[in-house]
Amino acid sequence: MTDDLTKGRQPGTTAESTAGSTALTVPGSTAVAEPIVVRNELWAAADPAAYDGGQPAEITHLAKLEHDMALRHDDARWSGMLEVIPTKADIVLDLLRANSLWPLLSGLACCAIEMMSFATSKNDIDRWGAFPFRASPRQADVLIVAGTLTTKMAGPLLRLWEQMPEPKWCVAMGDCTCSGGRYKRSYSTVEGIDRIMPVDVYVPGCPPRPEGLIYAMMKLQQLVKDRRGHWDERAIGPTVPQDI
Amino acid sequence: MDRALKARLEARFGTALHGEARQRYDETELRIGAGDAIDVLRALHDEPDLGFVILADLAGVDTGKEMQVVYHLWSQTSGDWLRVIVEGLSRDDPRIASATFLWKGAEWMERETYDMFGIIFEGNRDLRRIYMPPDYTSFPLRKDFYLPDDAARSPGAGVRHMERTHSPTESGETPLRSGTGT
Amino acid sequence: MTTTFPPGTHPSADDPHVLLDDDYGLYEPIPPYPPRTERELEFYTPGDGEMYLNLGPQHPSTHGVLRVVLKLDGERVVDIDPVLGYLHRGVEKLCENADYHQTISQLDPLEYISSLFCEWGPVMAYEKLLEVQVPRRAEYIRVLSGELNRIASHALFMGWFALDLGGLTPILWSFIERDEIVEMLAALTGQRMLFNYFRIGGVNGDLNHDFLSRLGDWMSRAAGQIEANIALLNENEIFVRRARGLGVMDRETALRYCMTGPNLRASGVPYDVRRAHPYSIYPEIDFDIPTRSEGDSLARYLLRMEEVKQSLRIIDQCLEQMPDGPIMTKLPRLLRPRPGRAFAALEGPRGMYAAYAISDGSDQPFRLKIHDPSFIHLQAVGALLPGHLLADTMAIMASLDPIMGGVDK
Repeated sequence: MTDDLTKGRQPGTTAESTAGSTALTVPGSTAVAEPIVVRNELWAAADPAAYDGGQPAEITHLAKLEHDMALRHDDARWSGMLEVIPTKADIVLDLLRANSLWPLLSGLACCAIEMMSFATSKNDIDRWGAFPFRASPRQADVLIVAGTLTTKMAGPLLRLWEQMPEPKWCVAMGDCTCSGGRYKRSYSTVEGIDRIMPVDVYVPGCPPRPEGLIYAMMKLQQLVKDRRGHWDERAIGPTVPQDI
Repeated sequence: MDRALKARLEARFGTALHGEARQRYDETELRIGAGDAIDVLRALHDEPDLGFVILADLAGVDTGKEMQVVYHLWSQTSGDWLRVIVEGLSRDDPRIASATFLWKGAEWMERETYDMFGIIFEGNRDLRRIYMPPDYTSFPLRKDFYLPDDAARSPGAGVRHMERTHSPTESGETPLRSGTGT
Repeated sequence: MTTTFPPGTHPSADDPHVLLDDDYGLYEPIPPYPPRTERELEFYTPGDGEMYLNLGPQHPSTHGVLRVVLKLDGERVVDIDPVLGYLHRGVEKLCENADYHQTISQLDPLEYISSLFCEWGPVMAYEKLLEVQVPRRAEYIRVLSGELNRIASHALFMGWFALDLGGLTPILWSFIERDEIVEMLAALTGQRMLFNYFRIGGVNGDLNHDFLSRLGDWMSRAAGQIEANIALLNENEIFVRRARGLGVMDRETALRYCMTGPNLRASGVPYDVRRAHPYSIYPEIDFDIPTRSEGDSLARYLLRMEEVKQSLRIIDQCLEQMPDGPIMTKLPRLLRPRPGRAFAALEGPRGMYAAYAISDGSDQPFRLKIHDPSFIHLQAVGALLPGHLLADTMAIMASLDPIMGGVDK
C-alpha cells in the first residue's frame, strides 16, 4: 500500500502504453499518448534543405545588408552614404510611397469581396491613397493576395509578382494565403503563399473584416516608413527563391 | 412521391432496369447499365409523355467496387426528380456514351467527371481536364487517391473519435466501403 | 475521341508541384502540346487573319480567376475557350473526409457571395437522409436570411455588371447596399460573409435584437433605396443601349445548355425551383416569378432587379408569419444516417443549387456532389460570345453572373 503511494503515477508506466507503441490511451488516464511520427515521404519541398535538418530560414538583416552593400544596385534607393544617414529626402520619399500604395486588382476568391468592400464607400481606402486598384502589375505597388492560391494559379501569380516593378510589397490576406487555411489538406492548394513569394504583412481571418485589412494597410505603411527604403528586407520562407 | 411515374417508367423500360424503380420523398431512382444508358436517356428526353428535358446534374460516383454515373432529370409531366444511375462501369476502364448530343450543357459536367474520376465519355468532343492542370496524372475523387497529408498519420491528430479521420489508411480496412445503400 | 489513359496505372499520391522554374509554357494561349480533343483542334486552328488573345486569370473584371482564350478576327470574337481550375480547392474530396457537420462550413466558400444557399442545399440533402423535420421557426429564419442574401447578391451583380460596362458609380452604391445587409447578417450569424449558419435540423442562432433593429431600419428605407439604385442604371441611356441586344439567348439554347435561375427566366422559361419543387415554407408565401422573353443582358439585369423586389415581399411575409418555437431539432452529435442517397435542389440567386449526398452508414458522407449553376452558365458563354466585340466579352460574362468559387469548387 505504502509503496503505491510513494511510487506515484508516472507517464508511460501504465499498462496501456507499455502494451504496444502504437496503442492509444483511453480517455481518463493521465498517461500521455506518444505521438506517432510518420516521416512524410509523399511530398518533397522544392528546396531539399527546406524543412529538414533544422536549417534556419534565410533572414536578411539590415546589418548583413550594410555589409554587402556592393551587391545592391539601382533599385529605388538612395545609394551611397545616404543609406546610412536618413535624410529628409529619404523620409519624404518613404512618406510618398507609403501614402500612395496602389494595390493590384487581383482578387482570387472570397477575400476579394472583402477587399472590394474595403475599397468602397463604407471602409474607404481612398483615405489612405490606395483607391486606384491598378489592373496592370506594371503600375502597382502592393500585391494583396486575396483568396486561396491553387497550384494552377501559383504560376500566374508568381508571374504577376515578378512583373511588378520595385519597390513592391505583398500582403497575404485571409487564412488561405497565410497558411492554407481550411484547404490545408487539399490536393490542389498551396499552403500559404509564403511558400512561393515573400510576404510583408499577414492578415488572418476567413475572411478578414475590412477593418482588419485597413489595419494591415496601416501596418504596411508603417513598415514602408520604418524600413527606410530597404523595402525587401523581410523574412522569407525557405522555399522562396533568393532572386524573387 | 409519384406512383404513376414509377408505373410508367417500369412499363416503358422494364427490361433495361436493374430491379424496380425506387422512390423516396420526391425522388425516383432508376438503375441501368452502361450499354442502355444512351437509349434510356434519349427516350426520356424525346418522348412527349415522358419529356425529361431538364438535366439538373451529372455526377460520377466511385463506390469502391465500380464506378457509376448519376443523372438527375426533371420533366413537367411529374413533380419528382428522376435519378438515373448508370452502374457497372469498371474501375479500370470506365467508358460510357456521352449525353452531349441531348444537352450541350452536359459537356462540362462530363469533363469534370472525367477530371475527377477518369470516366471516359465517348462522343464528348472536348474531353480534357477542366479543373486540374493539363499535365496532372491522377484522378482526385477516386477512392484510391488519398490526400497526401492525411491528418490521421500526423502527430497533430487527436485521441477522441471526432478528432480522428476515418479514412481507409487509418482504420486499416480495405478501401472499399461496404453498404453504400446501393 | 483521342483521350486515353494507360489502363491500370493510377498513381494515388501525385505531387502537385508548384511551378517555380521558368516553365511558363503551360500558360501560353496556344498550348505547347498537340491538340488532344476535337474541340481543341477546332479552336486552336486559326483561320485567315484570326488571332488569339489570352484574357488571363488576372484581369480587370471582378469575376475572379477565369482565363478565357479568345479567337479574334480584328475586334470581333470568333470563338472562346474558357480555362477553369485556377480556384479548384478540392472541396468535394475534403468533404468526404469530414463529418456531416463539418462539411457545411467547407461548402460556404463555393459561392461566397451567397453562402447561405451553398449551405442550404447540402443541409436539405442531409435532412432527407436523416429524415429529420426542421422546426417551422427555423424554416422561416432560413427563408428570411436566404432572401436577404439574395438581395445582397443581386445588388453586387448590379455593381459588377455596370463596372464591366464601364460605370464606376454603381459599384460603390451597390457596396453600400451590400454592406448594410451584410452587417445585418453578421449580427445574426456572427460573420459577414461565409456565414456557417445553417445546421442540420435548423439554424445556429435565433433572431436577436441587434439583427431585428437593423432589419427594421433597413426595411423602412429599402424600397426607396433600391428604386434609386435601379433608376441610376435604367435611366442611363449608355447603359441601356449597350446592354440591349447583348448576348441574346433564346429559349431552346437556354434549355440545351441546362441553364437555370434568372438566366433561364430571362429567356422565357418560367422555371423557378421554389415553385416547381417546393421546399421549406415557400408554398405558404406569396410571391411572383418574374419572367422576360428577350433573353439579352438587359433582360437578365432587369429580371434580377425585379427579383429583388419580390424578395422584399417575401421578407415582409416572413416577418409577419414568423412562428415561435425551437430553432433546431435535437440531433446526436455523431450523425450516422442510414445508407442511402438524397438529392436536394433550391433556387439561389444564380440559379439552381443542388446537392447530391450519398451516405454509407458512417459518420462521413461517402460522396457529396455539388451542382453549381455558375459552372453550367459559363458553358453558355461560348454560345453567346461569337459575333460580339471584344469590349462586350466581360459584359456578357457579367450578365450571366458567375462566381468562380462555385465554378471551380
